[in-house]
Formats: sequence, C-alpha cells, structure tokens
Amino acid sequence: MKNKRTVKVSKIKDGYSVNFNAMASPCEVLIQTQDKRVAERVAHCVSAEVWRIEDKYSRYDSLSLCSEINNSDGKKVDIDEETYLLLNFAEQCYQLSDGLFDITSGVLRQVWSFDSVSGECQHFPQVSEVNKRLCLVDWNRVLYDLHSITLPKNMELDFGGIGKEYAVDRCILLVKELTDKPTLVNLGGDLAVTAPRDNNHSWHVAIEHPDCDAFGQRQDMIVALKHGALATSGDARRFLIKEGIRYGHVLNAKTGWPIIHAPRSITTVAPQCIQAGILATLALLQGKQAEQFLTEQEITFWARR
Amino acid sequence: MKPLNVLLNKLSFTKSLQLHRPKFKLTLLAVVIANLSACSNLGVEPWERDLLAKKEMALTSSPIDAALDDHIYFSKEASSGGKSFGGGGCGCN
Amino acid sequence: MNNLNKKVKDTITKPHKKISLKASLSLAASALLGTSAVTAPVSHAKPADEWQFDSAFLVYSEVDRVSATEAIIAGTKTFANDEVLNLKLTVDVLTGASANGAIAQPMAQTFTRPSGNGQYVTPAGETPLDDTFKDTRVQVNGQWAQPLSDNLTGSVGGHLSKEYDYLSLGANGNLAYDFNRNNSTISMGLSYFQDTFTPEGGIPKPLSSMLIGDSSSPDWDTEFAKTRIGDSDDKSTADILVGFTQVINRRMITAFNYSYSMVDGYLTDPFKVISVLNFDGIAQDHIYENRPDSRVKQSTFMQTKYHFDESLLNSVADVSYRYMWDDWGITSHTIDTRFTLPVGAASYIEPHIRYYQQSAADFFQPYVIGEQAKTAFVSADYRIGEMTAVTVGAKYGVVLNGGNELSFRIEYYRQMPTDAGFVDPNGLNGLDIYPVVEAVIAQVSYSF
Repeated sequence: MKNKRTVKVSKIKDGYSVNFNAMASPCEVLIQTQDKRVAERVAHCVSAEVWRIEDKYSRYDSLSLCSEINNSDGKKVDIDEETYLLLNFAEQCYQLSDGLFDITSGVLRQVWSFDSVSGECQHFPQVSEVNKRLCLVDWNRVLYDLHSITLPKNMELDFGGIGKEYAVDRCILLVKELTDKPTLVNLGGDLAVTAPRDNNHSWHVAIEHPDCDAFGQRQDMIVALKHGALATSGDARRFLIKEGIRYGHVLNAKTGWPIIHAPRSITTVAPQCIQAGILATLALLQGKQAEQFLTEQEITFWARR
Repeated sequence: MKPLNVLLNKLSFTKSLQLHRPKFKLTLLAVVIANLSACSNLGVEPWERDLLAKKEMALTSSPIDAALDDHIYFSKEASSGGKSFGGGGCGCN
Repeated sequence: MNNLNKKVKDTITKPHKKISLKASLSLAASALLGTSAVTAPVSHAKPADEWQFDSAFLVYSEVDRVSATEAIIAGTKTFANDEVLNLKLTVDVLTGASANGAIAQPMAQTFTRPSGNGQYVTPAGETPLDDTFKDTRVQVNGQWAQPLSDNLTGSVGGHLSKEYDYLSLGANGNLAYDFNRNNSTISMGLSYFQDTFTPEGGIPKPLSSMLIGDSSSPDWDTEFAKTRIGDSDDKSTADILVGFTQVINRRMITAFNYSYSMVDGYLTDPFKVISVLNFDGIAQDHIYENRPDSRVKQSTFMQTKYHFDESLLNSVADVSYRYMWDDWGITSHTIDTRFTLPVGAASYIEPHIRYYQQSAADFFQPYVIGEQAKTAFVSADYRIGEMTAVTVGAKYGVVLNGGNELSFRIEYYRQMPTDAGFVDPNGLNGLDIYPVVEAVIAQVSYSF
C-alpha cells in the first residue's frame, strides 16, 4: 500500500514550504529563502533521501533490505556501510539501555499489531503468546560485520525506533551541502534545523499536546529552536486502553509488554535528531521514572502525562 | 435601498413563529438526551484530530469578537448569554 | 559475539553509565552520521513561554443615535502543567442619543434631562432622543483554568466594570469533565454579579410624572427632588450554565447549552419614560417607567461546526440557535451563521448573518392611554418590546509574517421593532411609533 509519491513546494511568507508523505507521516521542510530553485533542489534532495531510507529500512515494505534480512531464514545477507553503521548504533542503544531497547523486538508485532494507519491495537494478546515471541527477541544473537549480517531463523529486525530520526539527520547533512539558507526538516514531529533563522531568530516549533483542553482549544507548547533537533516519542498516535490502563506502543524488549505509567508524550532536545529520538524512547522505557531519568541526564525535555 | 427595506421588514414574521412553549421545550430536551445516549459511538481517535485542531474549528474561534458582539446585543436586545454567561457587567441595559 | 561489538561494550564502563549516557549517545550519533564528535552541533531550545495577545478596536455607530468606541486587549499564557491565565482590559466610550421611551408627536415636545439640569426639545414628528449619554467605562477580567485530574478541568474568574454611574463586580467558576476519549465534554458553571447603579439625578419615583419646567428657577431643585426616591440602587445576577459538547466525526463538532439566570434588584431604566396620551393620541404627561424587581431567564443553545473538504474549498460552517424565555413574558430566537472560507495560504473571508426575533414583555406598552388602569409595571423601552433584528457582515483575516493575525470586520445591524398588537389612536396617524434603528459596526483586530 504505497501512497502516491508527490512533493509539493509552496511559497509561504519569507520562504518556501515543502510537503510530502513518507514513513506514514506528513513530512515538511521549511527553507528561509526567496530563491525558488534552491527550494526545489532541497525539496527533491530531501524527499528522495527520505524515500530512499524508507525503501531500504521499512519492515512493511517487502522489497526493502530490512525485509530481505527478516526473510533470510538464518542465512547470511550482504550489507553496505550504511547498514553496518546503523547496526552499530543499535548495538550502542542496546548497551546503554541495558537491553530495554532492542531492534530485534520487531517480532513482537505479530502479537501486538498496532495498525500502521489507524494506530489501533487489534488484539490484546495472552501471556503465552507474548512469551513465545519473547525468546526470539535477543540482540546478542545477531551476528554482523562490515559486510554481512546473519539473523537467526524467525528473528526480525525493526528499524522503526531509529529510522525517522536517522532520516532527519541525513537530510540535514545533505541540505547543508546544498545551501546555507536556514532550513528546518520535520518528519512527522521529529525535526532538526540547519541554522537559526535570519537575524538570529529562532524557529518556533509547536509541540502538539495529545488533547485539547476543556474549552476545545489546542494547548500546544511553543519551543524556540535555534540549533539542534527535537524528537517526540509517545502514545498520542498509537495506543490501546484495556481495563482503564493506557498501553503505549513502545514495547519493553525484556518483557514483551508495552510500557505502562509512562508519560503520554516526551519531547527531547539534542544536537542531532537521532540522539533526541533515542533519549525520548529510553525515557519512555523508564515508565514512571521517565522524567527523573531525563533530569538526571541533564537533558532538556518536555513530558506530558 | 428601498427594496432591501421591504425585504427586511418582511422577515419579521412574528405571528408564524408562535411556538407552543412547553411542547417546544420538551422536544429540545429530548433531542439533547437522545444525543447524549448515542454519544459513545460518536467521535474520533486522537490521530484523527487534524481538522478539529484548527483554530477555525474551535467552538468560539474568536473570543474577542464574541465578547464585543455579546456586549452590543446585551445593550440593544432583551436576551443575553446562551453560549456563555449573560449576567450583569455594565450599565447598558 | 563479533569483535567490534565487544570493543564497543568495553568502552562503556557500567559505574559511569548514567553520567555518560548523553556523551555516549553523542559519540554514537557522530559515528553513525560520519560527523566529527568535536565539531558536533549544539542544541539550543527553550520554551517560548511568551504571552499570546489579542487586541481589537471597534466602532459601533447608529444612524442619528448612539455611537460607541470599544478597545480590548487580552493576554493569555499557558504554564508548565497546562494551567491557563487570561487577563483582559476593555475600555469603551459611549456618546450620542438614545430613545427615552416617549413616542413621536405632531408637535414639538420638551423633556427634562435625567440629571435635572436642563431641558431638551424634540422637533415635531421625531422620536424623542436623549443625548446626555456620554460615558466612559473600564472593565478588567481575569480567568484561571487548570486541570484538576486526568479528565477534569476547573476554572475561576473575576470581573470588574466601572463607569461614572455604574459599578459591577462579578465572579465565576466552572468545571468541565471529558470522557469518551475526549470526544465528549460535560460542564457546569456558576456566575454571580453584584452591580450598583448611581444614576445622575438619582432614582426617579416609579410612574411619577416627569417634571418639566425651568431648571434655573429657584424652587426647581426641591420640586425635582420630590420626584426622586434615592441616589442609588443595586442588582444581583446569578447564572447557572450547563454545557455538553460532542465530536461527531473528523469534520464535525456540536455543542448544547442550557442556562438559568436570576436577576434581582433594580431592573428599571431610570432614564426612560412612557408617554401618557389622551384618546386623540396627544401626550398629556410623561411618567417614569417601572419594571419588576426580579427576572428569571432561561435559554437553550445549540451549535454545530462542520469542516468541508476540497470540493467546498476546505471551508468551515458554523450554525447556532438560541431560544430564550423569561418570566417577563419575553421569548426570543437567535439564529447565527458564519462561513469561513480560506483564501490562499494565509487569509480567509468570513461572511456572517444573524437573525434575531423577540416578543414583547408582558408589561411593555409603547404608550399609555389616559384613564386606563395603571398597571404596577410598565415600560415603553423598545428593547423589551417586540422586534426583529438582522445583522449582516463579513470578516477578513490574514496571517502575517511571524504568525501574527490581522483582521477586519464590518457589519450592518438593523433593528425593526414591530407592533405588538396595540391599536394606535388617530392622532398618531403618520407618525413612526416603531422606528427602525440601523447601525454599522467596524472592527480591526490584531493578535500577536
């Protein structure tokens, strides 16, 4: 179910706005320039890069490298340097989170099917169903090196936890090579900027509140961003409520269950989007201690419960 | 301007709007209650709130305009409030 | 486990893990993106917890009658835990003439100003208007809303309004409960206002005759004082408002409200009189009006907003209806519709039509005829008489660079008082007993 891939470049006050859809999210690039050709070049470069990463690492795309690895049935699969670096990064995250963050937890989607479009959890599984899959979640059993990866039979990789943020950072790198005009790349709420706006003004970013207030008004928070990146992790979009308990879509790789008592959403700030994203996810994995975890790390964040 | 005058004056069809008061009130109440009970089937998921989140979809999209208008109509007519409190406030009525 | 994995693991020593998480991730990110850790970009973000301001300037101008100028500035700030503070300052200035309740006559008429200091003459055939209404009013409001629990929000607010002859103090409180995945909200609010009125010239004795004579004559003051019963009086208003809002679907939201209001105290307008006519329709006297000292109003209100799709240019329609009834015998219907049409990426145009119709109060009479039994309450104020009113207007708004919004609104308001079934004496033939009142409203708003 691939959406038609189109890129729209429109003139806005003091710049251009680029819109397209990728990774099941609305993607937006804002460039502060009056030169339409620059905007169009950036538009094509960014959208091509995001779609390239999606086509390579999406577990929902049967033609992707990720799917090839997941269907490899225990056989060795050739990888390139980019994939190798991503696997290294996943390894770091696994270590830093004490095993809570594990990209082999993709196999749990067989029992926790949060539909990628509507976000609804179709079926609340039994403990036995979860445990059966849990033995297939183990990063330590993944063997890889610079040229290839061997994923044991029935195990799966899921780049969903780092894919979008990685794409943001890649786009920022590419945009910096194309132009020095201030640019903001926003892929469905994970965003970063190349530089402050003209005259050292900040970019104003709205962090969406999961709900409207009692008067039906949106209570989004506005953040002034000059450098760096912002990533939001949370359950506003995908969650399940069972017996009054709200289960987010972030799964604890050790237990196989979604995290409970986590904040509804966490937004973190870091020099690069991938850092911000991992920090937000790691925080959510702490459940009740999410805010404390981030405060101890001296990370700038906003949490909504 | 004259045809407009005639048209506007014709709008005051006061006699035909004589509603039987108790029955009308009961009907209104019934409509409200019927809606309340049908409520759990209505609504959207959090990720479907894109349009509803827009400023123009808020029930009062311009509180300042509403406050100014309420003040004018409170001074010039016999009714007030309905959407918000209609009480007191100034010496205009 | 492959060699590289082991190497990376050793560099992260567990005792210092917590402290170096940020740094470790920094290193890891640099490794992934091929950027140098040394020249890694910094991040610089802080919440822009600025105040959000809305300001407006409005001019209301009736043809040959009252004009008002009103300016508002309001500021809103959202705090860390979703508390919201709203402060508002309103200043309005009123000038011009207002109908004093007496009706037009085939000859010129003389009336005494409410203060007692001077008379004014209304030409023959014209509706008597009193032009002593020059007043400046200042109002401040404050409102605080905060979440009380997961689905419950509370709000409290205060109001103060001061004109030279009127003081109003008010407070309100509201509770709102969200349920059904925030698709439904039920709310209840209470408000209380305590007003004090100190009209120029004092409170006139109800139904007494207006003293017409020469204000400069020596015994004027004593005679005038005889028509007064006091300097000031008060009025209290208590309201209950119950509301229910429901999201119908992705494009539609509805709301239903019910309100009950009790007003007690001095509800009479001390500046209004009623013409006492003989059987030929010629005014013999003018008496001060008198209204009951309590009024109970109820209303039901419903509203729907619908967001259309591209086929209708992504416009939004807003339709509402209010039905009001009270124990003075007044019932009213208000239908209000607005249609917001986006124009380009940053502006919109919003046409507006409002239709209003009210019935007369039980004690409303455009005039009193001679020897007819004097009822306890009577008023000729057309604002509680039978009338239809229509407002037609449009608003144009544009979002400027930086996100600030500028908008312009212009409306035409036409009040058409109608005959509530009174048979006019012959002497009133050719006179306009129910004059139409037209006004133009123009407003500029700026949000920043």
